[in-house]
Amino acid sequence: MDSRLQLSDLVKFMSKKYVPVHSHSVWYYFGGVSLFLFILQVVTGILLLFYYKGSSDQAYESVQFIMSKVEFGWLIRSIHAWSANLFILSVFIHMFSVFFEKAYRKPRELTWITGFFLFVLSLAFGFSGYLLPWNELAFFATKVGTDITGAVPFIGEPLKVFLRGGDDVTGATLSRFFGFHVALFPGIFVFLLILHLLFVQRQGMSEPIEASIKKEKLKTMPFFPNFFLRDLLLWLLVLNIIAILAVFFPAELGMKADPLAPAPAGIKPEWYFLFMFQTLKYFPAHILFIEGEVAGVLLFAVAGVLWLLVPFWDTKSSRGQLNRKINYLGVFAVLFIIILTIIGWIT
Amino acid sequence: MKQILISVIALFVLFSVQTIQAKDDSCLNCHRDLGDSPSGLFLTDVHYKNGLSCSDCHGGNKNSDDMEVSMSKSEGFVGVPKGNKISEICSSCHSDKDKMTALGASVKTDQYENLVNSVHGKLSVNGTERIVQCTTCHNAHGIRKVNDKLSPVYPVNIPSTCVKCHGNADYMKNYNSALPVDQLTKYRTSVHGELNKQGNPKAAECASCHGSHNILSSKDVRSSVYKLNIPATCSKCHSDKEYMKEFNIPVDQMAKYEKSAHGKAVFEKQDISAPVCNDCHGNHGAVPPGLSAVSNVCGSCHVINAQLFSESPHKAAFDKAKYPECETCHGNHEILSAKDQLLGIKEGAVCVKCHSETNSQKGYMVAARMSSTIDTLLALQKKANDLVFQAEQKGMEVEEAKYTLREIHQARLESRTIIHSFSEKKFSEVTDKGIAAAGVVVGEAQNAIDEFYFRRYGLVAAILIISFLMIVIFLYVRKIERT
Amino acid sequence: MISNESDGKIIKKENRRDFLKYLLTTGLAGFALATIYPVISFLKPPKQREVKVSSVSAGLAKDFNTGDYKIIRFGKVPVIVIKDEEKDFRAFSATCTHLDCTVQYKKDEKIIWCACHNGKYDLHGRNISGPPPRPLDKFMVVLKDEEILVTKSS
Repeated sequence: MDSRLQLSDLVKFMSKKYVPVHSHSVWYYFGGVSLFLFILQVVTGILLLFYYKGSSDQAYESVQFIMSKVEFGWLIRSIHAWSANLFILSVFIHMFSVFFEKAYRKPRELTWITGFFLFVLSLAFGFSGYLLPWNELAFFATKVGTDITGAVPFIGEPLKVFLRGGDDVTGATLSRFFGFHVALFPGIFVFLLILHLLFVQRQGMSEPIEASIKKEKLKTMPFFPNFFLRDLLLWLLVLNIIAILAVFFPAELGMKADPLAPAPAGIKPEWYFLFMFQTLKYFPAHILFIEGEVAGVLLFAVAGVLWLLVPFWDTKSSRGQLNRKINYLGVFAVLFIIILTIIGWIT
Repeated sequence: MKQILISVIALFVLFSVQTIQAKDDSCLNCHRDLGDSPSGLFLTDVHYKNGLSCSDCHGGNKNSDDMEVSMSKSEGFVGVPKGNKISEICSSCHSDKDKMTALGASVKTDQYENLVNSVHGKLSVNGTERIVQCTTCHNAHGIRKVNDKLSPVYPVNIPSTCVKCHGNADYMKNYNSALPVDQLTKYRTSVHGELNKQGNPKAAECASCHGSHNILSSKDVRSSVYKLNIPATCSKCHSDKEYMKEFNIPVDQMAKYEKSAHGKAVFEKQDISAPVCNDCHGNHGAVPPGLSAVSNVCGSCHVINAQLFSESPHKAAFDKAKYPECETCHGNHEILSAKDQLLGIKEGAVCVKCHSETNSQKGYMVAARMSSTIDTLLALQKKANDLVFQAEQKGMEVEEAKYTLREIHQARLESRTIIHSFSEKKFSEVTDKGIAAAGVVVGEAQNAIDEFYFRRYGLVAAILIISFLMIVIFLYVRKIERT
Repeated sequence: MISNESDGKIIKKENRRDFLKYLLTTGLAGFALATIYPVISFLKPPKQREVKVSSVSAGLAKDFNTGDYKIIRFGKVPVIVIKDEEKDFRAFSATCTHLDCTVQYKKDEKIIWCACHNGKYDLHGRNISGPPPRPLDKFMVVLKDEEILVTKSS
C-alpha cells in the first residue's frame, strides 16, 4: 500500500506542516469544522438525490416519501437540514474569527476574497435548498426573498425574473433552484474551496498580529497527526450533536405549497437571513428620492463590498500594525447581526 | 260596576245615534227601495251595525236626498272602488288605532300591513293590483265578525273560502302554476278536515297553519309553514293540554320530538333535510300513520334499512304480531340516534323485547353474538385510533394507516344498516371488513411507534460509538503530545 | 539496570500504544459500520409504491366499459372514476359528504350512490337526494395515450 501510493511521503509532508499554538488557536478549528460540514452536506445531499424529484408536482411528495418510506430517509434529510444550519453558523464564526485576527492582511488577501465568495455561496445554498421540499413556508419565503432582489436598481427586475424562471414563483423556479443547488453552486463552491485550501497550504496558518509585533516565536504543533486528530475529535463531537438534533428535532415538512392559497401569517426567512430581512423592515418607505427597500438593498451591497475589500483598505493591519477601528467595526457588525436576528426571531 | 255602567250608557248612545243615522241615510234608503243586493246584504254587515254608512266607503253625501248632490264627485263619491283602492279604503279605518278605538272596536290594526307583505299582497300578474283584497275573503257587503258562523272567515268556513281560488287550476295558473290545487281534497281526508266538516271550529283549517293576513310562501324562512318552523306551528295546538283535551290524544309529541335525532337535526343543526311533523304525517292530508304506513314513511328516507328489513325474517313475524315495523325498535316521536346498545341482550337493547334466554332462544344467541362483534369492532377502532394518535404525537408518518382508519369507520356505519337484514352472515361480512382493516391499522401504527423507539436506541448506539472513538482519539493525542 | 528500566518503560509504552491503536481501529470500524448501515439501508429501494399525488393513473381507458367505475387512491383520499353513458370519464372525491363513507356508481340509475345512508349524487357530483349536505369535490380527468390520469381540479 505504502510503496504504491507513497502515503508515507504525504504523512511526512503533512507532519512537516506546523500549526502555531497560542491563546487564539481555538479559532483555527472552525475552518475545519466548516469543511467537515460541507463534506457531510455533499454526502447526504447525494443520498437525497436518489429519491428527490425536482418538479413542483412531485417535489413535496418525494420528500414525504423520503421521510416516511425510505429507511433512514428521515435521518439523512434531518442531518442535511441541521448540518446546513450548523455549516452556515460555522462559516459565520470562521469568517469573523479571521476578521478579528486580521488574518486577511497581506499576503492573504486572496484567501479572504475566495472565503468571502464561499460565504456568499453558502447563503445561496441555504436559500435555494430551502425551496426544494416545495412546502408552504418555503414557497412564501422564496417569494419574499426573490421579491427583495427585485429591489436592486436596474438589474433587479431582470434578476428576479431570472431567479424565478418567470414572473412568479412557480414550478419553473423550483427546477431552477434545484439546478443551482445541486449542480451550479457545488461546482463553483468546490472550485473556490480548492483555491481557498491551496492558499492556506501555500501560506500556512496566519499568526496573530500581536505576536509578529512582539517578534515572539510561537510554539507550534505538527499538522499531522496532532492537529489533524484534534480536528477529527471536534468533527466527531459535531456529528454527535447533529445526530441528537436530527433524532429529537427531525426536519419538518409542513403543508404542500399552494400558489393560490393566501400567504400564512408570520412568513420568515431562514435565521441567517433574518438580520437583513429585519433591517429592511425598519427602512422607511422613502429615503430622499429612492424607495426604502432599494436603499436597504444598496446599503447591504455597499457593506458587502466594503467587507470583501477589507484587506485593501485596512492598510494598517497589512503593515503589521494594530488597527483598533477594525475591531470596533467587527464588534458592531456582530452585535448588529445578533440583535437584529433576535428581534426578527421574536417578532 | 262603574265601568259597566259607562259602557252600557255608551252602547245606548251609540245605538240611538245609529238608528237616527240609519233613518237619515239617503244612500241606504234609495238603494233599499231599488232592492239591489248590496243594500240588502249591508243590513247584516257588522259595519252597518256599528253605524257606518255606504258613503263611508263609497264617498258621497248620505244626507242629501238629491241624487245629483249625494253622488256627485264634489261630495267625494267614488262609486265602486277597484283594485288596491278597496283595501286602502278598508285600511283607512282598520289601520288607524284611534279611529278604531273611537268606534269602540277592539280588533287588531295590522291586517293591512300584513296583507301588503304577504304572498297575497304581492302585485298580481297585471302589475297594478294585489292578488287579494280584503273583500276577496271577507266579502264586500255583509261583512260579519270572524266568530259569526255565517262569516266566510269563520274557522269552519275557511277551507271553502280559500278553495274558491286555490282549488281553481285555471285561476291559479296565472300566479303559480307549480302550486297544487288539490289541498282541499287532501284536507278532507285528514283528521283535521273531518272534524272541520263536522263543524268543529277548533280543528285546524288553512289559516291555523298558514296564518291569515300574513300568509307567506312555505319557502320563506319567516313563514309559519317553512320547514324549520313547522314543529312550532303544529305544537301550538298539539302541545296545548287544555286545547287538546276534548280530542283525547297525547300532547307530548313535541317534547319527545325535540329529544329525537330528527328534532336535534332540525333545531340544533338547522338541517332542512331532517324530517319535521309533516314529512311523516303529511301536511294537508295529515293523518296519524297506520301500522303499515309507518315503514313506508321511514323507508322513503331510510331506503336501504327498509328494504333490508322487508327481506328479513322479521318482516313476516312483525306482520303476524301486528307490530309496526320501525317503531317497535326505534319509537316514533322520540327516535334517538341509533346506538350500538340497541343491539344485543344487555340493558337498552331492543332484541330482548321478544327474544329471551327461554323464549325464542336462537335470536337471543344471535343478538348476543352480533353485539359482541360490534363491541370488538368498537374496541379495535378505539385501539387503532389511539395507536395512530400516539404515533402521530411522536411525529411519525402514519398517513397510510389514517387512510385505512376510514374503513373501520365505514364498517361501523354500514353495520348499523346491514343489521336490518337480521342475517348473521351478511352482518359479519361487513364487520369482518372492519376488523381486518383495524388489524392492518394497529399493525402499521405499532410499527411506527416501534420505529420511534428504534430511532432513540439507534441514537444512543451511535453516540456511544462516536464518543468511544472520540475518547480513543483524545487518549491518542495526549499520548503523542507527551512524547 | 538503568537501561533495563528504561527499556521496560519503552516496552510498556509500546504496548500501550499498540493497545490504543487497536482501540482506534475498533472505534473507526464501529464508526464506519454506524455510518454505512444507515446509508446502505437508505439506498435499498423501499417496498411500498411511491406516492405521486398530483396526478394518479386510473388505468387504461380500454379497460373501462361504459358505466364502469373504479375507486382509486389519490394521496390520502379515495377518488371514484366513472365512465358515463356519453363515454366521458368523470372523477370525484369518493368520500360521501354526509358521514365519510365511500361512494359507488349505480349504472342503472346513473347516480353516484352512498350505501351507508342512501345519499345520491348526480354525474356532476351534486347532492340530489338523501342526507349529503354538499356536493362531492370534483377531480379532473385527462386522457394521455389511452391512460386515464386523474388530477386535482384547479
